[in-house]
Amino acid sequence: MTLELSRLRKAYSQFDFGPVDLTVEAEVLAVLGPSGSGKTTLLSLIAGITSPNSGSIQLDERELVGLPLEDRRVGMVFQEGALFPHMTARENIAYAAAAIDRVDELATLLELEDVLDRKPPTLSGGERQRVALARTLATDPDVLLLDEPLSSLDAPIRKRLRDELHSLFESLEIPILYVTHDQRTATALGDRIAIVRDGDPEQVGSPSTVLTRPTSRFVARFTGNENLFEGKVTDRTADGATVRFGNIQFQTTASDINTSTVTVCIHPSRIEIEAPYIADGDRTANAVTGTVSRWLNEGSEYRIDIEIEKGAITLTANVRPPTFERLALENGSEVQVLIPKESIHLIPEL
Amino acid sequence: MATGSHSNRSGTGTFGFDWLSVALVLGGVLLLYYVVPMVSLFLSIPAGEILARMDNPTVVDSATTSLLSASISTVIATLFGLPLAYWLARTDGAVTKVVLAVVVLPLVLPPTVGGIVLLTVFGPSSPLGEAAIAAGFPLTRSLAGVVLAQTFVASPFVVVTAKAAFESVDQTLEYASRSLGKCRWTTARNVTLPLAAPGILAGITLAFARAIGEFGATMMLAYYPRTMPVQIWVAFIELGLDNAYPVAILLVLIAATALLVLNTVASNPWE
Repeated sequence: MTLELSRLRKAYSQFDFGPVDLTVEAEVLAVLGPSGSGKTTLLSLIAGITSPNSGSIQLDERELVGLPLEDRRVGMVFQEGALFPHMTARENIAYAAAAIDRVDELATLLELEDVLDRKPPTLSGGERQRVALARTLATDPDVLLLDEPLSSLDAPIRKRLRDELHSLFESLEIPILYVTHDQRTATALGDRIAIVRDGDPEQVGSPSTVLTRPTSRFVARFTGNENLFEGKVTDRTADGATVRFGNIQFQTTASDINTSTVTVCIHPSRIEIEAPYIADGDRTANAVTGTVSRWLNEGSEYRIDIEIEKGAITLTANVRPPTFERLALENGSEVQVLIPKESIHLIPEL
Repeated sequence: MATGSHSNRSGTGTFGFDWLSVALVLGGVLLLYYVVPMVSLFLSIPAGEILARMDNPTVVDSATTSLLSASISTVIATLFGLPLAYWLARTDGAVTKVVLAVVVLPLVLPPTVGGIVLLTVFGPSSPLGEAAIAAGFPLTRSLAGVVLAQTFVASPFVVVTAKAAFESVDQTLEYASRSLGKCRWTTARNVTLPLAAPGILAGITLAFARAIGEFGATMMLAYYPRTMPVQIWVAFIELGLDNAYPVAILLVLIAATALLVLNTVASNPWE
C-alpha cells in the first residue's frame, strides 16, 4: 500500500494549508509539529472529515478525494479515543468488526479482556486508547491515522503504550501516519519523521537525520537543537568546511555548503564535557574551554549552559548524571567542551 | 423581618436591609402564587363529584379530541422537526440564524395571530381551503384544523429542544463511526439518536404538552370538534366556572404527567 498526496491544498480564513506533496509507503511516518501547524488538518483531509480545495490523495491508484469518509477504508484513532459512551468496550469494537471473532482476537492482542464489558467513562485513559485502537483495527483499514493518541496519558502509561504500539505497527504493513508534538514519541515510533509548519512538511527524513541534520532553523529549534549560531565558512576542503563563530574556528565534516554565511547547529546531546586538564587525544573533535554558567537537573540528564570566550557564545549541553557527578560540576566550573566534527551541522543561509 | 438574626453573612446594607431575606420572601411569594391556585382548584370541588362528572359526554369527547389531535400533531412535529433540528445543530452561518428565527417565530407570535395567519392559507375562502372542502376534507372546523393549529404552535419545541440535544453529541463521534465504514444513516441510528434521545424526548414531551393546551389558534381554525381548552371556555361562558373544573383538572393532571416524564426519562432542558 502506498499513500500519495499531491498538491493537496486547503484554504482557511486564518491560514492556508499546503500545497502538500507527501508519499507514505507501508511505514510509520511520525508527523511532528507545534500546535496549530496543521497536523490534525492533514489527518482530517486524508480521513475525509475535511475536503481539500484542490489536489489529490491516492491510495494505490485509488483516488480518495471526493469519496465519503465511510468509503475510504482509512482508519483513524482520535485524540481522546472518541469511543461511543453508550456502548461497552466490546460493543465499541464489535460495532466496527466484520466478524465477531475479531473482537476477542484484538482484545487479546491489546490486553483488553478484562475491560470488555465496561463502558468508556469507567476506563482509564490508556485503556480507552487501546479500545479505540482495537476498534479501528477491527475494520482492517488500508491506512491508519493516529491523532496524538498518547498526549493525554501519564508518563509511565505513555511509555508502556508507546512500546506496545511500536511492535504492533511493525506487524501491520500499511501506511501509518502518527501525529504528535512530542519529539521523543516521534523518534521512538517513526520510521521517518515529517516536521510540519502550516501543514507543509518542511523536512521529511529518518529520525536521526531530522534530529542532527535539520534543513532549516524552524526544524532545528523544534527538534531540540538549541545551539544555533550565525557563522562564516572560512575554508573548504574535501574533508569538510571550517566555520568561524564566536571568534573561534571549528572543523566540520560539512561538504555540501556553497554559501559563506551559515547557521551553525549543534544538538545539546552531541556535546561532550570533560575536565579541563585532560588533553584532547581525539583529533576528530573540536575542543574549547568554557565556564559553567547554569545547570538544571532534568532527571535522566543534566542541562548545562557553558560560556565560551568570556560569554561570546553560550553552548547548551546535555550531560549524563555519572559525568556530571564525576566532574563535580557547579556554577563557575571550568570545563573542556568537545564537539565532534560531524556533530557540527551547517544550514546554508540564502 | 428584614433584619433577621441569621443575616450576618449576607451583609447588612447601608439602610439596614437584609437583602438575602428580602430575596427569599420575594421568591417565596411567587412560589405560593403558583401552588395556591392549583391546590385551590382541587379543593373547590369534592373528589367524588369530579369523578362523577368525568363520564359526561362533553368531557369524554373533548378529552378524546385533544389526546388524538395532540398525538397526531406531536408525531408530525417530530417527523418533520428532527431532520431540521439536526441540520440546525450541525450548520453554522447566516442562513442557519435566519432559519432558526423562522422556527422560533410561532413561539413568540400570539396564538390568535397564528390562527389568523393559518386561516389565510387554510381558511374556507382560501384556494387551498376551498379545494380541501370540495375534496370532502375540510381544513377548518375539523380534526385536521385542530392538528394544523397545534402543529404550528407546538412543533418549534421539538426543533429547538432537539437541536440542543444534537449539539450535545460530539461530532467527532459521528466522524469516528463513519471512518469505521458506517454510512450516515447507520451512524445516526446507532450513535447520534441514542445519545440525543433524552433531549429529543424532552422536546417531544414539551410539544405534546403545548399541543394539549393550545387554545388561541385552535379557536380560530376549529371551534369544533372541541378540544379540552375550548370546552373549558365554552363551559365557563355558558354554564359558569364550576362547570369548567373537571376538564381543567384533567389538563392539570396531563401537565403533571409531562413534568414527570421531563424529570425522569427525558433530560429537562431547563435544568
